[in-house]
Amino acid sequence: MKKRILALVLALCMVFALAACSNGNNNDNANKGTNNQQNTNTANVINIGAIGCLTGAASTYGVSVANGIKLAVDEINNAGGIDVAGTKYTIALTQKDDQGDPTECLNAFNELTGNGIELIIGSVISSCSSAITSPANTAGVVMITPTSTADAVTTTSDYVFRSCYADSNQGAIAAAYAAQQGYTKVGVVYCAADTYSKGLYDSFSAACAANNVEIVVAESTDTMEANDFSNQFQSVIDSGVDFVFAPYYYGTVGPYLVPSARRAGYTGIIMGADGYDGVLGCISEGTEEYFYDVIFTNHYDSADTSDVVKNFVTAYGAAYNNEVPTAFAALAYDATYMMVQAITKAGAFDAASVKAALDDQTVVYTGVTGTFSLDATGTPNKGAAIIEFTNDGTSVTTQLRDTVSIG
Amino acid sequence: MTNKKTLTGYIVNFIICVALVVFAVMARSLGMQPKVSTMIWQCCYFIILACSLNLVLGFLGQLSLGHCGFMAIGAYSAALISLAFQRAGFYTEKSGPEFMLVLVICIVAAGILSAIVGLIVGIPALRLKGDYLAIITLGFGMIIVNVINNLPFCGMDGLSLGSASSALYQNGLGFVLHQLTDYLWLPVLLVIICVALMFTFIRSKYGRTIKAIRDNEIAAGASGVNVSYYKVLTFALGAFFSGIAGAIFACCNSSLTTGSFSFTSSSILNSTFIVVMVVVGGMGSLTGSAVSAVGMFLLNYTIKNGKWVQALPNFAQQIFAYPMLVYSIALIIVIVFRPKGIFGTYEFSLVNFVTSIPRWPAILKEKFGKKKTEEVAGNE
Repeated sequence: MKKRILALVLALCMVFALAACSNGNNNDNANKGTNNQQNTNTANVINIGAIGCLTGAASTYGVSVANGIKLAVDEINNAGGIDVAGTKYTIALTQKDDQGDPTECLNAFNELTGNGIELIIGSVISSCSSAITSPANTAGVVMITPTSTADAVTTTSDYVFRSCYADSNQGAIAAAYAAQQGYTKVGVVYCAADTYSKGLYDSFSAACAANNVEIVVAESTDTMEANDFSNQFQSVIDSGVDFVFAPYYYGTVGPYLVPSARRAGYTGIIMGADGYDGVLGCISEGTEEYFYDVIFTNHYDSADTSDVVKNFVTAYGAAYNNEVPTAFAALAYDATYMMVQAITKAGAFDAASVKAALDDQTVVYTGVTGTFSLDATGTPNKGAAIIEFTNDGTSVTTQLRDTVSIG
Repeated sequence: MTNKKTLTGYIVNFIICVALVVFAVMARSLGMQPKVSTMIWQCCYFIILACSLNLVLGFLGQLSLGHCGFMAIGAYSAALISLAFQRAGFYTEKSGPEFMLVLVICIVAAGILSAIVGLIVGIPALRLKGDYLAIITLGFGMIIVNVINNLPFCGMDGLSLGSASSALYQNGLGFVLHQLTDYLWLPVLLVIICVALMFTFIRSKYGRTIKAIRDNEIAAGASGVNVSYYKVLTFALGAFFSGIAGAIFACCNSSLTTGSFSFTSSSILNSTFIVVMVVVGGMGSLTGSAVSAVGMFLLNYTIKNGKWVQALPNFAQQIFAYPMLVYSIALIIVIVFRPKGIFGTYEFSLVNFVTSIPRWPAILKEKFGKKKTEEVAGNE
């Protein structure tokens, strides 16, 4: 019996120690249940819910998004709140964790709507968002997802909107950039078995046809986690192209794709999409010199010198231990301001009015990730920042190379 | 005497089942929130999952770590078959006799397809024992997710071309919000039928045979039991019921992603957690599995959404922000104090429970006294 109690106490100690370790960097999310109740005692409150993966495998994305939303809400509340038809309202934010799982996301959604919340920002990853789009439409709940790029998440005349561009736009932007730079023959290296990679390849090839760019070589790998690309790039070299579109995630691009392409003797441009955000963290030592003419489309550039971006980066750094906001945080920040702008425009904060305001395709939103309006499906029409990796032989940095807009 | 008692048992259980179904049918008119009905749906598929795994793990004694793989087959086949009927114009609204027929076809087909796959996996896999079977089934769980990822008709709009590995957005069965309340009788009825079938299986000569195999495979074989046959049969039966659980899952969710069934899924719908449910409930007790499935689901749900979490002091809330951490403490507590699981091999019986109430004080006294003497003996 004594041993049992000892084991239990030790287990508890371990857990408390873990919790204590995490206090330092996560105190703003950890007590998520309570910090949002601050405004509920005043009458003029708009309840907004947020769903994201605060824990689980994709939690880095979810925490960035939660931080971005929280920052925007705090800014609005500190400025006195939203002006709705002449009265000032503050925002009461309720954040829910979905662990990156569709079922948990559905439960979080039910919990929020059960408490009478009609405006939701979320969810973060596409599979979670897809689980709640249909309930959102049936229940009449406005949902703005900051970061779910899968094309099918929003359809025309529904309650679902987003602040990021869809996967199909991203491929189109890459194709437009290739055409702009005067490339008429390009190559593609992609993974046919992955939604993200395949989706980008499809939209890239469609846009290439429209821009009179010819895809002369398309090589596929069997997984997104391939370690060796030398065969693919050998055939790219044989076909003589100087521009390769390679939509992969940062964990593959940094250590494997770029080094094996350069070692195979390929010296042209390697272009990717927003999955390259984060490559800097996983470049192996000794391969820095390979990172030249590697570019990718991203939602925004944190080193942008425009006032909007500079203010956002400063405010974010001040709120969260001098962290540089990722594109996820920027998109979440914009999603919150989209919601606020729609509420102000509608002069009401019930779901139907806000939806009607967001449905207006003429409204222009000015955000950190660009100035844009929404199309018929509720997806922004916006350009992208083209970010470039450069190196001085020993270290790699990113810089803005160009901005591209389509349409 | 025994016959009379059995008869009373049947009557009591029957009345309870009818009452449950009637309650489920009336849920809408009782004003049940979609939130609550969604929770009941989720409890129902967890109960069937845990009980069906208990057939393999508790009664047959084979560790299977790929149970969610069978569930994925059930969920995707139910969703796609219903979608095919919908596209063919067999039904347009989620009501009426045509839809009921489709519902039955989908649920049965989900079970049968899973059972066939269970058979295919089981025949070679069950030649292995212990850890090796666990590894094979673990691999199966991963493989099936990847297979579905690479089938072009399992993504996006379903049955259309070219979008493998993404979420299946169209689902002919997916009930949303109030439809979940309207159809609440469906999972309740399915749970009753499935659990009753499993019970009769366990109490039949088949059940006694597989328990014999669990206790001593060589002895069972020497007594003339066809060991491989019974192993594969039980494995396929477990797969059949988890396929039905998958069909319920498909009804409960308007879109499907393979992420829900993957081995790395971060929620409690995860092959490992189904094993945990069975172990906590008691290996060899179907009622135990049902109780622990509901208990674990509610624990997981209330950790995130319960009001009582907000009443805790701040430092405790910071732990509760990591649901899996709290969950693991609860598991450690159960395993430390009840190593055989909550129920052990005991089956909860409503009749015995009710008739035993007058004898409780005596039973408690006896148990308490026994424990004390044990402790004294231990200390010496």
